[in-house]
Amino acid sequence: MVIVESVETAGGASFWQDAKHRLWKNKLAVFGLVVLCVLAVLSLAAYLRPSMTGYSYEQQNLALGPMPPSHAHWLGTDPLGRDLLARLLYGGGISLMVGLCATAVSLIIGVIYGAIAGFAGGKLDMLMMRFVDILYALPFVIFVILLMVFFGQNIILLFVAIGAVEWLTMARIVRGQVMAIKRQEFVEAARALGLRHGRIIFRHIVPNLLGPIIVYATLTVPEVILLESFLSFLGLGVQPPHSSWGVLIKEGAEVMEEYPWLLIYPGAVMALTLFSLNFLGDGLRDALDVRGSKD
Amino acid sequence: MLRFIARRFLESIPVLFVIATATFFMMRLAPGGPFDAEKQVAPEIRARMEAHYGLDKPLFQQYLLQMKHLLQGDLGPSFKYPGRTVNEIIADAFPVSLELGCESLAVALVFGLAAGMMAALRQNSAWDHVPMALAMIGLCVPTFVMGPLLISAFALHLDWFNAAGWYFPRDRVLPALTLGALYAAYIARMSRGGFLEVLNQDYIRTARAKGASGARILFKHALRGGILPVVSFLGPAVAGLLTGSFVVETIFGIPGLGRFFVTAAFNRDYFMVMGSVLFYACFVVVLNLAADVVLVWLNPKLRFE
Amino acid sequence: MALLTVENLRTAFHTRNGVVRAVQDVSFQLERGETLGIVGESGSGKSVTCYSIMGLVPQPPGRIEAGRALFGDVDLLACSHRQLNRIRGRRISMIFQDAMTSLNPFLRIGEQLIEPLIIHEKITRAAATDRALAMLHEAGISEADHRLKMFPHEFSGGMRQRVMIAMALITKPDLLIADEPTTALDVTVQAQILELIRKMQKELGMAVILVSHDLGIVSGFCDRVMVMYAGRVMECARTDDLFYDTKHPYTRGLRQSIPALQMKGEELHTIPGQPPDPHHPLPGCPFAPRCEHAVDYCAREEVALTEVAPNHGSACLRVQREKLPV
Repeated sequence: MVIVESVETAGGASFWQDAKHRLWKNKLAVFGLVVLCVLAVLSLAAYLRPSMTGYSYEQQNLALGPMPPSHAHWLGTDPLGRDLLARLLYGGGISLMVGLCATAVSLIIGVIYGAIAGFAGGKLDMLMMRFVDILYALPFVIFVILLMVFFGQNIILLFVAIGAVEWLTMARIVRGQVMAIKRQEFVEAARALGLRHGRIIFRHIVPNLLGPIIVYATLTVPEVILLESFLSFLGLGVQPPHSSWGVLIKEGAEVMEEYPWLLIYPGAVMALTLFSLNFLGDGLRDALDVRGSKD
Repeated sequence: MLRFIARRFLESIPVLFVIATATFFMMRLAPGGPFDAEKQVAPEIRARMEAHYGLDKPLFQQYLLQMKHLLQGDLGPSFKYPGRTVNEIIADAFPVSLELGCESLAVALVFGLAAGMMAALRQNSAWDHVPMALAMIGLCVPTFVMGPLLISAFALHLDWFNAAGWYFPRDRVLPALTLGALYAAYIARMSRGGFLEVLNQDYIRTARAKGASGARILFKHALRGGILPVVSFLGPAVAGLLTGSFVVETIFGIPGLGRFFVTAAFNRDYFMVMGSVLFYACFVVVLNLAADVVLVWLNPKLRFE
Repeated sequence: MALLTVENLRTAFHTRNGVVRAVQDVSFQLERGETLGIVGESGSGKSVTCYSIMGLVPQPPGRIEAGRALFGDVDLLACSHRQLNRIRGRRISMIFQDAMTSLNPFLRIGEQLIEPLIIHEKITRAAATDRALAMLHEAGISEADHRLKMFPHEFSGGMRQRVMIAMALITKPDLLIADEPTTALDVTVQAQILELIRKMQKELGMAVILVSHDLGIVSGFCDRVMVMYAGRVMECARTDDLFYDTKHPYTRGLRQSIPALQMKGEELHTIPGQPPDPHHPLPGCPFAPRCEHAVDYCAREEVALTEVAPNHGSACLRVQREKLPV
C-alpha cells in the first residue's frame, strides 16, 4: 500500500538508536527487562552468598516440616523443612543459567550452520536445510529423554541436549537472513569494489544478522527453561539437592493439595520470568523490525 | 503431486533407519540393563533371562537381529510386562494417546485460529490485547502447572470433572485443555501475524475495491494466506503434542503410549523403547507429509517447484 | 449532472513522525464518458485522492478529514459501508499499478474474474464463467478457457494487467479509476494496455480517471488533465489547453521535461529542487521554492484553484492576479 514515499527519520538517528528508542517506548518490554535484571541480581547474590536469606537451599529442618509463609520463612517451607525462598532464588539461578547456556549452545550451532548454508547456497544449502526440515518435525525431545535417562544427569549434558533441540529454528532464521542480505545490492556493490569474502562477511553481513539473532536468542531462553522444567518433572533434569524451578514445581505439584504455596510461588515466579523474557523478546523484535517466522 | 509424496516417502526411510540404529546403540551403550531392578534375582537366573532374550550375543549380532525383526514388523517382547509383546502394548495404548492428541489439537486449532483472526481483524483493540495476553499465559505456564491448577479449580473445587482417569467422555476435557493450551497460544500468535501480513497485501485492497464484504474478504481471500504459518507449524506441533502427552498422561492418569514410553526408558525395557520411538517417528513422518501436502495445496506457487 | 463531483477533499495520515497532509482541498468534476488524467510526482497525492474516493484509505493512520465525493446523489465519503460496497466493483471499478501483487496468488484467475459478478449480480457460476470468458476475449487474451484455471504467477506482466482490466470491467461500471496501470510494464506493452482501456471505454461509454506521473501518457489519452503537486491541484484544463495555453509554472516545467519533446543533443530540461517535505509543509504556494516566477507573496498566501480562463483552472497566484504568461 503506497502511502507517502518520503518519510524522514527525525534527526537522522542510526538503526540502533532508533531501535533503542522504540524499545524504550514499549512499556511491556521495559517491564520485562527490569524484572529480569532484578531476578538475575537476586539469583546471583543467592548463589554467591547462600546464607543471604538466612538459610541455605539445602538446609533441612525436619522437625519443622512444611509450613505456610511466615515471618521466619517468607515463602514457607517444604516437607523437608527447607526454606522455599532460598530454594527459589537458588533454583532461579540454576534455571536462568541453564537457559543461557543451552541457548548459547543452540546459538553457536545454529548460527554457524545457518550462515554456512545461506552463504554457500546451491546444493549444499539444499541438503543442509533438508536435514533441518526432517529434524524439525521429529520429536527430538524423545531423544533428549533417552539421553538423559541413559547417560546420567550431568548438567553439562543437559545444556548440550537442550541446546541440540533448539538450534534448528536459529539455523533457519540465520540462513534466511544471510540469503536475503546476500541478494541485496550493497553486497553486490561491495563485490564490485573488489572486497574479499571475509571482509564482506564481517563488515556487512554480520551487523545485519545481529538483530534477528538477538531477538530469537531472547525468545529461545524461555523455551529452554520450559524444556528444562519438563525434564525435571520427569525426574531427568537437575537433580536434588540442587533445585531448579522445574524441580520445585514438580515437588510442589506432588503436594499441591495440602501445601499449595509450594506450587504457587515457584509457578508464579517462573511464569513471571517467562513473561518477562517473552515481552522483552517481542519488544526487541518490534524495535529491530525483524521478520521471520512472524508471530 | 504423487511424485512429491513418493519422493518424501523415500526420503523418510533412511531417516527411520538412522533413528532405529541410533536408538539401538544408545540403549545398549547406556549403563544398566533391563534386569538390574530385579534385585531378588540370582545371577544364574538373570543370565538365563538375558540369554532368552538374546542379550548375551555380540552387540552387532543383536543389532542385525533387531533390524530383521523390525522389518518384519515384530517389535519384540516387553521386559517389564512379561507375556505381552510390544506390539500389543502399543496397540492398546496408542489409540488412547491418539484420541488425546486429536482432541488437544482440535482445542488448539479452534481457540488459536479464532483468537488470532479476531486479533488481526481488530488490531490494537481489546479483541487484540485480551486474546494475546491469554496466549502469553498459555506460553508461559508449563503444562504440568496448568494441569494441576485446572484439576484443582474444576475438579476438586467445582467438582465438574473427575481429577483423573479416562473412563467417561467428560474425562477428556481437562487433559485436552491442558495439552492444547500451549499450542493454542502458539497458533494464536502465528495466525495473528499471518493474517496481519495478509490483510496488508495489495490483493486485499483489490477485493475491497470489488465491493467484497468483510466476511468474504476474510474467508475467501485472507484465510489461505493467513493460515500458512499455522500449517507449517503443524508438523512440529504434532511432535510437541506427542511429547507433551507424557506429562499430561502422568498427571491425569491416562493409560497412553507416552506414559509407557517414559517408564520403559527408565526400566531399560529395550524393545518397548525401540518400538515406541520408531512408532512415534513413523507417525510424525506421516503427519508431516500430510501437513506438507496441505501446504502445497494451499499455496499454488509451491506446486511448480 | 456530473457523474462524480469531488469537493474540497482533505485526507491526512497521522503517523509516528507527524501528520502528513496527503490531499489538501482537492475539487474536480467528472462527466459521463469523460476521461480525466491526474498527473503528479510521487507524493503529490494523486493516488491517495483516488483511494479516498473509493474508501480504500486505511483508517487508522489515514483519515478523511473533510470533503464530499458525490457519485450520483450518494456521498461516497459519508455513506454506509454497505452502500459503498454496492457501488465499488459494480459502478466504480479500480485497477492498480502492480497486477502481480493486486491479484490473489492463491486463487485461480477464473475465480477472481467472476467474483464481481457473484458479489453484485444474481447469477449462476456457469453464466458468470461465460461472461468471464467473453471478457478475457475482449481483453485480447487467447485460449481463455485454459487460462481461467491458471494462477496469477503463471501470466506475464502485460497479461496480468489485461486480466485486471477484464476483472474491473466485467460489471460494466460507469467509472474506471486506473492508478498508474502502465508504470510497471514495458513500453511496448504500455501502449497496448492503454489501447485496451480506450477500446473498452468507447464500448461501454464509461468515464475513466487515469492516474500517472507521466504527462506524455496522460496527454495522449485524456480529454482533461489535472496536475497535482504536494497534495493540491495546480492546474486543471482540457488537454489541448493545458499543453498549448499552460497556466501554471509547474505544468510548464513538466511539459518541458518530457524527453521525447526535446531537441536531440541539448541538455535535458529538469525542474530544479525537490518536492516539499510532507511532514513540514511551508506556508504559501508549495511550488514557490522551485518556481522561477515566484515573488514575495507566493510564499506567504494560501493557494486555491480558481478559473482563470473558460474551463481552465489554475492555482498560480501570479496567473490569477497578474495574468502572468507562463
